[in-house]
Amino acid sequence: MTNRQQEVREFRDEALSLWRITFGPVIWATHFVACYGLTSLICATDGQVDELRLGIGIGTLVALVGIAWLGWQAWRQWDVLHNRDWENDSGTSQDRHQFLGHAAFLLAIISFIGVSYVSLPALLIGTCQ
Amino acid sequence: MNEREHLPVATGPYPPTEEMLAVPVSQEEQERGKAELRAAWKTPEGWRYFSAVNNTEVGVWYCLTAFAFMLIAGLLALAIRVQLAFPDNTFLDADRFNQFFTMHGSAMMFLFAVPMFEAISILLLPAFCGARDMPFPRLSAFGYWCFLIGGCFVLGSLIFDAGPKAGWFMYPPLATKEEGIGPDVWLLGLSFIEVASIAAAVELIVGSLKCRPPGMRVNIMPLYAWYVMVVGGMILFAFPPLIAGDFLFELERSFDWPFFDPTRGGDPVLWQHLFWIFGHPEVYIVFLPSIAIAAMIVPTVAQRPIVGYSWIVLSAVGTGFLSFGLWVHHMFTTGLPQLSLGFFSAASEAVVIPTGIQLFAFVATLMVGRVKMSLPMLWIAGALAIFVAGGLTGVMLAIVPFNWQVHDTYFIVAHLHYTLFGGMVFPVIAGVYYFYPFFRKKLLSETLGRWAFWLIFTGFNVTFLPMHLTGLRGMPRRIFTYPESAGWGTLNMISTVGAFVIAAGFAVFVYDLLRSKKNQPQIPRNPWGAGTLEFSHDVPDEAWGVRSIPHVTSRYPLWEQDKIVERMDAGRYYLPDARDHQRETIVTSVIDAKPVYVQRVTGPAWITLWAAGFTGGAFIFPTFHMYAPAIVCGAFAIVCVLYWLWTATARPPKDQMRDVGLGLRLPTYASGPDSVGWWAVWITMLGDATAYASLVFGFFFYWTARPDFPPEGAAHPTGLWVACAAAALFLTWALTVTAREVNRRGGVALARGALLVAMAAAAGGAASLAASVTALDPTTHVYPAIMWALMVWVVVHVGAGVIMLGYCLAGSLFGKLTSLYDADLQNVTLFWHFLVLEALVTAAVLGLVPGWLA
Repeated sequence: MTNRQQEVREFRDEALSLWRITFGPVIWATHFVACYGLTSLICATDGQVDELRLGIGIGTLVALVGIAWLGWQAWRQWDVLHNRDWENDSGTSQDRHQFLGHAAFLLAIISFIGVSYVSLPALLIGTCQ
Repeated sequence: MNEREHLPVATGPYPPTEEMLAVPVSQEEQERGKAELRAAWKTPEGWRYFSAVNNTEVGVWYCLTAFAFMLIAGLLALAIRVQLAFPDNTFLDADRFNQFFTMHGSAMMFLFAVPMFEAISILLLPAFCGARDMPFPRLSAFGYWCFLIGGCFVLGSLIFDAGPKAGWFMYPPLATKEEGIGPDVWLLGLSFIEVASIAAAVELIVGSLKCRPPGMRVNIMPLYAWYVMVVGGMILFAFPPLIAGDFLFELERSFDWPFFDPTRGGDPVLWQHLFWIFGHPEVYIVFLPSIAIAAMIVPTVAQRPIVGYSWIVLSAVGTGFLSFGLWVHHMFTTGLPQLSLGFFSAASEAVVIPTGIQLFAFVATLMVGRVKMSLPMLWIAGALAIFVAGGLTGVMLAIVPFNWQVHDTYFIVAHLHYTLFGGMVFPVIAGVYYFYPFFRKKLLSETLGRWAFWLIFTGFNVTFLPMHLTGLRGMPRRIFTYPESAGWGTLNMISTVGAFVIAAGFAVFVYDLLRSKKNQPQIPRNPWGAGTLEFSHDVPDEAWGVRSIPHVTSRYPLWEQDKIVERMDAGRYYLPDARDHQRETIVTSVIDAKPVYVQRVTGPAWITLWAAGFTGGAFIFPTFHMYAPAIVCGAFAIVCVLYWLWTATARPPKDQMRDVGLGLRLPTYASGPDSVGWWAVWITMLGDATAYASLVFGFFFYWTARPDFPPEGAAHPTGLWVACAAAALFLTWALTVTAREVNRRGGVALARGALLVAMAAAAGGAASLAASVTALDPTTHVYPAIMWALMVWVVVHVGAGVIMLGYCLAGSLFGKLTSLYDADLQNVTLFWHFLVLEALVTAAVLGLVPGWLA
């Protein structure tokens, strides 16, 4: 393996760990856009609201499971039970790794709450109007 | 395959050990380094001062200009308050009143709030990161001059009684039908400034990703840098929809393409969507960086590290995302399905959680710290109090039925001023007091500061607290007067008195800011006892940014890294000299800030001013329907930018390696993802793709919202031409990628051939795409109009793409671009990755979607 290839690989790993903290919110965003888009479509065409609500319900479950899985990964990456480090404030690769886990974990929680909130209208409101 | 030649990589020991850092630097070396750096970073003098591009100059101009625009917008508000003080008042007539409130809102948002964030960040970010300058100083200067020209143009329209008057969100059909040039001034002037804003955002994101000091990993970078990254990202996704909206709007006003005209299939609600997809994140775009200032001040005041660093990062990133799910709460009364309103109501409530978390983190830090109450902290405290009040009314407004009740009343005016004063104005003033010693090397007056605070704080509450009630009593916003029988007189009078108290407070603040401080003795270097790198600055001032770029291993290096300032001063760390008298800074890796290469930073130049002037012409002439001079200006702007890039960027270096100190040797050239230029292109194109996606959103919006889209018997784009365009543009992309790969392997001649054919293919593709829609008349219906708009968008981009290919070809011919030094070609290929995607989606929308719809 040449230097260049190794660098490229390291760069990808590195970049991925920063991207990963956004995956939870990205699931929230996808879920949100899907709910909004489907509702616009179905309400504009006098479609079936019950099927829409069911669809949103299933989509919500999928999103929540996805976020929970990400949260679990992040929790393991944070590893707080093992080394009891809450701040991760030193300039080492271990602290950086755990910090990104912690941030991803917290963002997974927020995303979980966000997805649950956004699904509530579909649970509570039965018509387009 | 030939064995490829590679760019060299960093060699030498890294990270530095304590022993290496403990070795003293000889006096002689120190003096030599200082002299060289002074020569390299010398600020131009006399009238040439305005050719400066250094962040410390441009940042100060930017801040002062934004502040001046803010004061003008504030004076407009005073005039509005005078008019509303009494029932049936005649101080302003209805027309002028409309111009004033429109300009007040537009200027505060577009000429103050967002530019102020960029100005402060350009000024401070390099200092937080111990960097010499931003990665693209000339881009900052270009952005500043664009901002100045655009701002003067927009505000100047008031002097000629020609200002826009449809409110700062320019709703059609009122604004599309408005007589005169007001809406054009707004659309073109502010689009021009938005382009500058995006340029600054690109620079700031790259700055916080790639220009951190060695060792400053993401888990220890100052919170401000986190906020800059989040807000920069938000700008990239928030401003493009508005630019796309402006594009459609101006096409309607100038050429009568009916995007928002319901009689010809258009829909005014599309503008509201595009505006508020921008408009709501915008609120957080101004709030987050201001609260970031609080995140820098609070630890200093508490004299301890921030509590819950990760929680604040969560809060910034989480707010950044959630803020994009709120836009429809400005549109609750437009008749969207209840269910849709519910989603936005829920998301609006959810955003409170991350927003609240950061405030709690600040309070916790203050509780566990040893608080030294200072003037900046007073302003932060005021900010928190006011912002929390504004946040609470925000929670009320997110509830749909309550929102219907107070929609378009003074309750809204009160709410938005509470959030913006608390979330933006107060923290920014706190920042001015806190950072003034850093950027002016003087202190502001404690007494005057307290006077200013109490006047503004009291005045603010006297003005805006009663407005909640005025609104609940039914006073609509944007009315130029009201009858006495309405019973709003007393409340309005109180608000007007309060407004003058605010103005008095600002007068004190401005006086303190601008008064001569010549007699003030030299200030201490770190007057607040801060722990972050900006307070390692040189007093008296030096233009080099930092004497040497430190190796950082903690969040508060001045508190936690022993002798760091002493060693920085001695030039013990990286880049302590400048042998060729060239400006340089270190570029590091994104996550762990490992040194990657030494970036040559551009110095003073007039070309940025010329480029900004011509770009201004290209935007301003169309306001008066003078298209020929606009095109000439556009062409000159392109020439200026090409000259600037050709002479100053990505030129093959004289020496491949640079000894940066502590035994470390770094390459002086980088290409592809290592280089800052590649990141800038990537980030810019992300914004561009968002704008494009907004147009496609428009297409599908019409399809869902309008039964007559496409209208019966409508002509469709010619399938054959669309297919030709798709094939030709795909070929261009393939040839560009081939050119990059062949060039890298040494096949220079082949690469030149590929570039040449690529240019021809691109031109053919653009022509075919244009030919595919020529049979359609865009003024008859929105369906042909949106087809034309997509075509125009792609053709303009292909034009840019052809120029870029030509630039690479010329570079190859004249030895600027070689098989080793191929950054330009790498960046152009990246541009074409995005463009081919846009072209293929356009081809699908033009060629395939009509068939599916029919």
